[in-house]
Amino acid sequence: MAFIIEKKAVSGWLESLLRLGEVIAPTRSPTGDVLFSTICSAGDVMWDLPNPLHPPKEAVLPQTDPIVQIKRNGSHHEVEAIHDDHRRFLVNARSCDVKGIAFLTRMHEMEPADASYLERSKNLTIISQTCPTPCPLGFCVCTDSGPFLSDSYDAQLTDLGENFLVEVGSAKGEAAVAEGQGLFRKASDDDLLQRRMLEEKAKQHFGEQTCHFASAMRRISTGRVHETLWEKMADWCLECGGCNIVCPTCYCFSVKDLGCDGTWIRCRLRDSCQYAAFTLEASGHNPRAQRKDRMKRRFFHKVSAQYYTRDGTVGCVGCGRCVQVCLGTTHMPAVVAAIRKGNWYE
Amino acid sequence: MLAVPTACPFCSCGCGFHLLVREGQLSGVAPSQTHPVSGGQLCARGWSAHEAAVWGDRLRQPLVRRNGEQEPASWDEALDYVVARLKELLAAGKPVGVLGSARATNEENYLAGKLARSGLGTNNVGFSYYPVCAPLLAGVEEVCGTEPTLRLNDIASSQIILLIEGNLAETHPRAAGSVLKALENGARLITIGCRETQMVRVASLHLQAAPGNECEVINELSAGVADLGQSRPSVSIGNDAGLQDLEQHVGSLANLQAAEWITHAERAAFLIPPIWGQGDHPRKAAAAFARLAAITGHLNRPGSGVLPLLARSNARGACEMAVVHDRLPGYDRLEDAGSRQRLENLWGKKLPSAPGWDAETLVQSVSGLVIVADDPSSVMPMGQKAMAALGKMEFLAVLDAFATPTASMAHALLPISSFAETEGTFTSMEGRIQRLRPATNPPGDARPGWQVLAELCVRFGATASYHSASDVLREVSQAAPQYAGVAQRLAADGWSGVLLEDSGKRKLQVSSAGSIAVETLKSADRPFLLARDPAFDWGSDPLVSFSPTLSRDFRSQHKAFPEGFVEMSRDDANALQIRGMRKVKLTSTHGEARVPVLVRADLEPGLLIVPYAFRDHVSGALGNDSIAAVAVERA
Repeated sequence: MAFIIEKKAVSGWLESLLRLGEVIAPTRSPTGDVLFSTICSAGDVMWDLPNPLHPPKEAVLPQTDPIVQIKRNGSHHEVEAIHDDHRRFLVNARSCDVKGIAFLTRMHEMEPADASYLERSKNLTIISQTCPTPCPLGFCVCTDSGPFLSDSYDAQLTDLGENFLVEVGSAKGEAAVAEGQGLFRKASDDDLLQRRMLEEKAKQHFGEQTCHFASAMRRISTGRVHETLWEKMADWCLECGGCNIVCPTCYCFSVKDLGCDGTWIRCRLRDSCQYAAFTLEASGHNPRAQRKDRMKRRFFHKVSAQYYTRDGTVGCVGCGRCVQVCLGTTHMPAVVAAIRKGNWYE
Repeated sequence: MLAVPTACPFCSCGCGFHLLVREGQLSGVAPSQTHPVSGGQLCARGWSAHEAAVWGDRLRQPLVRRNGEQEPASWDEALDYVVARLKELLAAGKPVGVLGSARATNEENYLAGKLARSGLGTNNVGFSYYPVCAPLLAGVEEVCGTEPTLRLNDIASSQIILLIEGNLAETHPRAAGSVLKALENGARLITIGCRETQMVRVASLHLQAAPGNECEVINELSAGVADLGQSRPSVSIGNDAGLQDLEQHVGSLANLQAAEWITHAERAAFLIPPIWGQGDHPRKAAAAFARLAAITGHLNRPGSGVLPLLARSNARGACEMAVVHDRLPGYDRLEDAGSRQRLENLWGKKLPSAPGWDAETLVQSVSGLVIVADDPSSVMPMGQKAMAALGKMEFLAVLDAFATPTASMAHALLPISSFAETEGTFTSMEGRIQRLRPATNPPGDARPGWQVLAELCVRFGATASYHSASDVLREVSQAAPQYAGVAQRLAADGWSGVLLEDSGKRKLQVSSAGSIAVETLKSADRPFLLARDPAFDWGSDPLVSFSPTLSRDFRSQHKAFPEGFVEMSRDDANALQIRGMRKVKLTSTHGEARVPVLVRADLEPGLLIVPYAFRDHVSGALGNDSIAAVAVERA
């Protein structure tokens, strides 16, 4: 189902969404950064901002995520789940992040399902925008996660000049569009043709500098990446964990209780598999004490055929954020290229 | 959700990020692409910077020791108590002092200095990290003054990077990242050190130097430069004996190659952390290092220069706010009558002219002490000795946000805001002054540190009427000449902070180098060198130890090695038939110590390195030195 909404009517639609729940969209902060933040009025949404460096997974998986409350009651403890049932609209997210959240949701739906996550994702409506001009560091075309999507969104907007084309991808999207009654008209075949042409044109923007996963996947999955290559690459990683923290598909966490006056809040804290103590066992043994082993694990999880078969996709949405945050030089495209070529810097 | 931009509180690189706030509580960190230093990148510490303030053991209300127990008190009671006890000591003619901190803001440090000088009438003022970084700063100052000569952002575009390697990837990940970027662009890295660290593995050339021998290697490089005929005529590498001594090493091709690279490079970065050494050696090594930059023409050239690598966020600021026994705000020398006059005019009070005790002596000697956000036992080289001295103190007042070992010994404990809850500024090692912005309210009754210190100043008769931290900074602008106009510029420039000016008034003094060969320390009886690793122990910093994510590595290390360890090379361990984690007996002229051994493949033979965190386990053999020759036996 596809509709057309005039650009000048969009704010009316957003106002009606604002009445229903929290609306999160990229905004320009006083420092000049673009950040996903809660907006107060429809006028705050700017459609032409670059994708924020900090991903919107915060809306479903906050860096600090309170899960249960533990209370002391006499000689025993009471455990109670913490609910976050706020209705949220994520507006102007980009295709890569839509796929990222879809990846996370698939992951958290696996048995045993994660009720805390699913409650948030169930109440989240994603109104994304396609990218007719891909961002400079993105390679979503290699990961099947952009620049235009055919699934995973609730509603997908495409800029057609005076209007937005609105494609509805789910019941949540349908409900959101229903809130803008009278503002939408049915899209014509011409509108849809225009969208398809924009998509084809957008794909042409990606140069040769993309990420060649297939060859890397063959090598990783069959253990044909030489140990010395991992060793060499590990020397160029500074173990900051930034790649994990901003990755739209990373969800690893640790657990810590925050205590106050006989009550504890058990929190899930976003964690990085690149930190030395991430796999440290209580016995003191660490199965991945060396950085090269942690790195190997990370890329095995993201790029191996074993996980590809299970998840139906690589663990990467091509957003290019790791390229920007990597304090060293071991981001996804660099490592994939090194594996494909069989060497690191010469 | 709220995103509050602020400066990073960990190392001295001066990164910036957003603190994320959810329902009034810190919940995470978001990077800032527009920040001039970090540009969207952060290290592991930065990404978890919000944790300590939330999960840490925070001080929530003033405590006063009564009958041996720290008991809750009101702010008035606690302040009255602090003032009364200090006045008692002053009246009895007993020495008192103040410690600021390299993790406190400029405003807090400035007021700590004012409290000591104008309030308590003493120059007994210091901070725990100063003994560690002072020789480095003094050595660099000898050659290029106190102004910064290299910016962090210059590193990535350098062609040559000369690094005295402690462990840059761990101590200053942001600087290490710039080094990697430079190498990616084709730069060459030359490292000097005794361990095969990550930076050494990516280096083009590594020059071996035993702890305490860095100065010799640097002089060899200088000699290499002289040999290339590229040096300026004014260069003197010491007396004839020194020359001869150097000449026999000039054959070393590696040194010549390095000398050639450095000399021919258009832009070169010289990076030096606090280093090992006996007596005056660390200062001399730092001076020799800066001199090498000078004679190769890299001191007055844009994009080239020397960067002293300080560990804690505001170490430079603490120096410039003069929580130093023989300096005045602006890092001016205490004996400079003009500077003292300037301060006396500003503060409207005659100030003491006799220098105080240096931080380490101060802790041992005063009867009453006010400590602002510092924990001497974990930062000072003589940790246990400092701890014992604090225990014997007649009166100890501590202002801190966190329950540190020092706080637990206080007679009066005044809770203040952490970096995440306060206004103020930090000055990074490259001289960038940046604002901290409060993201949440401090817990319980805690108050901003500058407010508490201003109150104490007033009660001791020093003028201090400020409505905000910016008011304090405005006064700093008058007290420290290089901070003139900073408050206004910060208000206008906001995010990028204010860079201290590089006035170009550099003095190039080349004095005799006179190196002490550490080899002479060793003898047939004591063939090993035991050295204390000078790298700052982040595990003992509350910002790390209270962070669930960051503390794991350190906590597990302390749990795994309750008796500490010294690192020994695999060759030595094999020769001595010592297996890992077995104890050895170390005997030096100072005495002996028994400590387990951690066998390492990446260490040079003949060396035993003790991590800063475990330095007290070998104090028997190390005495007050940072290097000692020892005999090693299986214990």
